[in-house]
Amino acid sequence: MQSALRGWFTITVGEAAEVERTYYDTFDGLLYDAGLTLSIQGGVRTLTMRDGSQPEAGVTAEKVAGVRMLLVVAKVRLTTQILNVLDEREKTVCRIVLETPIGLRERARLVPMKGYERERDRIHEFLVSSGAFAPADLPLLDDAVLAAGGQPEGIRSKVEVPLRSIDRADVAVASVLSRLIEILDANLPGTLADTDTEFLHDYRVAIRRTRTVMREMKGVFPAAQIKRLRVEFKWLQEITGPTRDLDVYLLEFERLRAVAPMAMRLDLDPLLEVLKDWHQSARERMEAELRSERAQAVHGDWGRLVALLIGLNQEDRPDAGRAITELSGERIQRVHRRMVKMGRGITADSKPEEYHELRKQGKELRYLLELFAVPLYDADVVKPMIRALKGLQDVLGTHQDRDVQALTLKRLGENVAAQPGGTAALMAMGALLERLEAEAQAARDQFATSFAEFASDAQLKLVDKTFNTSAA
Amino acid sequence: MAKNKRDTNVLATYNIKGGVGKTSAAVNLAYLAARDGNSTLLWDLDPQAASTYLFRVRPKIKGGGRGLLRSRSRTADHVKATDHELLELLPADFSYRHLDLALDQFKKPAARFRKVLEPLLQDYDYIFLDCPPSISLVSESVFEAADALLVPVIPATLSSRAYEQLDELSRRGKVGKMGGTEIFSFFSMAEVLRPLHLQVMEKLRSAEQLKVLGAAIPVADEVEMMGEERNPVAVFAPTSAAAVAYEALWHEIQGRLWPDVAPKEPAASVEPPVVPVAPEPTPVESPAG
Repeated sequence: MQSALRGWFTITVGEAAEVERTYYDTFDGLLYDAGLTLSIQGGVRTLTMRDGSQPEAGVTAEKVAGVRMLLVVAKVRLTTQILNVLDEREKTVCRIVLETPIGLRERARLVPMKGYERERDRIHEFLVSSGAFAPADLPLLDDAVLAAGGQPEGIRSKVEVPLRSIDRADVAVASVLSRLIEILDANLPGTLADTDTEFLHDYRVAIRRTRTVMREMKGVFPAAQIKRLRVEFKWLQEITGPTRDLDVYLLEFERLRAVAPMAMRLDLDPLLEVLKDWHQSARERMEAELRSERAQAVHGDWGRLVALLIGLNQEDRPDAGRAITELSGERIQRVHRRMVKMGRGITADSKPEEYHELRKQGKELRYLLELFAVPLYDADVVKPMIRALKGLQDVLGTHQDRDVQALTLKRLGENVAAQPGGTAALMAMGALLERLEAEAQAARDQFATSFAEFASDAQLKLVDKTFNTSAA
Repeated sequence: MAKNKRDTNVLATYNIKGGVGKTSAAVNLAYLAARDGNSTLLWDLDPQAASTYLFRVRPKIKGGGRGLLRSRSRTADHVKATDHELLELLPADFSYRHLDLALDQFKKPAARFRKVLEPLLQDYDYIFLDCPPSISLVSESVFEAADALLVPVIPATLSSRAYEQLDELSRRGKVGKMGGTEIFSFFSMAEVLRPLHLQVMEKLRSAEQLKVLGAAIPVADEVEMMGEERNPVAVFAPTSAAAVAYEALWHEIQGRLWPDVAPKEPAASVEPPVVPVAPEPTPVESPAG
């Protein structure tokens, strides 16, 4: 480098150092998505854009990460050597940092100095035209992550499996389920370690999606095996449920506190303590169950069945050889019809359970649409359908959340009363209950409108027309 | 340690007389502020461009002083990085010698510098103004823009007379935003072995109405050598009496202006402040595929 520049610019050799740099991102690469790079070197924390420029004012890694934890994604040991490029006044107009990371490509970083951008560009141009340097295709972080066999963009929990309409149903189902197994496996360690709450959430969503496929596509599996494994997956969902509910309660606690009348907000502290206790014991129970032989056997058996599925005898798998378009269209239509029927039976006086049941069906439909309709059917139909469904699910979700929160409050009453400050807490909880019930009621009032949109004649016709492939 | 505070502080080194150590003070204090982890700007207002020279920057502002005052371009576009981390410079320009005339064309000339600096306030913890000597529209505009004036005074009768003039102006409410600008003086080029200097210092320190800072900058070879070294004293002679005196002066200024802010600790390095990720994240193994 020095010899390349000598004669053209004055170069002085600055500090050299051996450093260790640690890079951070969330498990799912939220910083990567935001175009950011966070590193710590020698105790100094640096947040830059991926191209090394400064992020906008007010951007912090924590804000971008939200509920997700910032994790170490790469550790790099490197030697750095600073070269100062001076102008005719002996003013430094550019700093070149030569970075030699152990085991990775060497690189030169041109550190911008304010007011000397033109000089920097000239040096960049000169280095590239000298043939000794090429513009970096990837940041050092990506080099390090790739060299370690990781993915710079993080581990996503999106399914997005491309399918072809002529695929055999069992082939399509196996590829969707393989992806879901990857997501389960990816999120289990973080769930067990309680790294952040999203691991458990993503794990549970993958369980639910898997169960939808098991249930709706059961004809592609050997009957006895799928029957047993459906029981096991229901169990996985049950043992992870209480922890997730309490995760949500704790995450939403401040929002919930704000729902209570101003004067009573601080009185809710004993409730928070009880919630934390419950959360702790729910988590311990869940961890023990997830580490049990039974859970390990479920994961193992399920992985083997999915891997071997398409080679199994088709005799007790009546749907295995059908086209996936036909099978998924039929199921989507059926679940849609079931939902419409259920929804029409719901009135303002219906029990909360009826709303919950409808919401479950809504999830079932949504997963079928996302896993199968998105890759196989016309996006112009599927996307608006998912949107209308989402609108309805949001209303049902609010209703259920408030209902469950109210129920939890009632169940917690006894424990909270036993705490110091318990009486005041109970009164605050009473006020909170009233508001929660009012919000649940508001959601009920909204239900009719959202449902009417979801189950409009035009929508029904469109669903029939789009998914009625078997009758054709 | 970086100062933890909300507002940018604008400090001006000023004296009606020239050759009293304004530039040396501005350059050294700005350097110390930046070294402590504060984002710092020095605006060299003197057409003689001494601070600009000391930082090896070309004394040139595109569009000249007039263009800058008219805000034809963003002030920030004229700012240059110095060779010192966190310390930036708004260079001098030869046209600054007509800055008075340029200011005179505005309706409120005294408010002009504050306007020019306004967009920069969010970028810096400290802005230092290195002012030309004289009492003029330029100095009035400086008084208006600055939160505090730092007035170097040579402890000889003539120079201290200049300080008295300024103090007079201040008492008549002519200096600063509604006369609210703090004025501190400090002894510069002090010769502690000269009885005259000692006498003047003693006399001025006991004058109630004057805010004379304790730290005195001695007459020293190192200060003179700044022109040769083109660096703040603390860079090339960190243990010299002059470097120690600037350090003490900076410490005292902070204590006087922001008594509530924790006193600075000289930073071991010029790196930005340390903010570790907390709590220490747990590494998670990247699952394959």
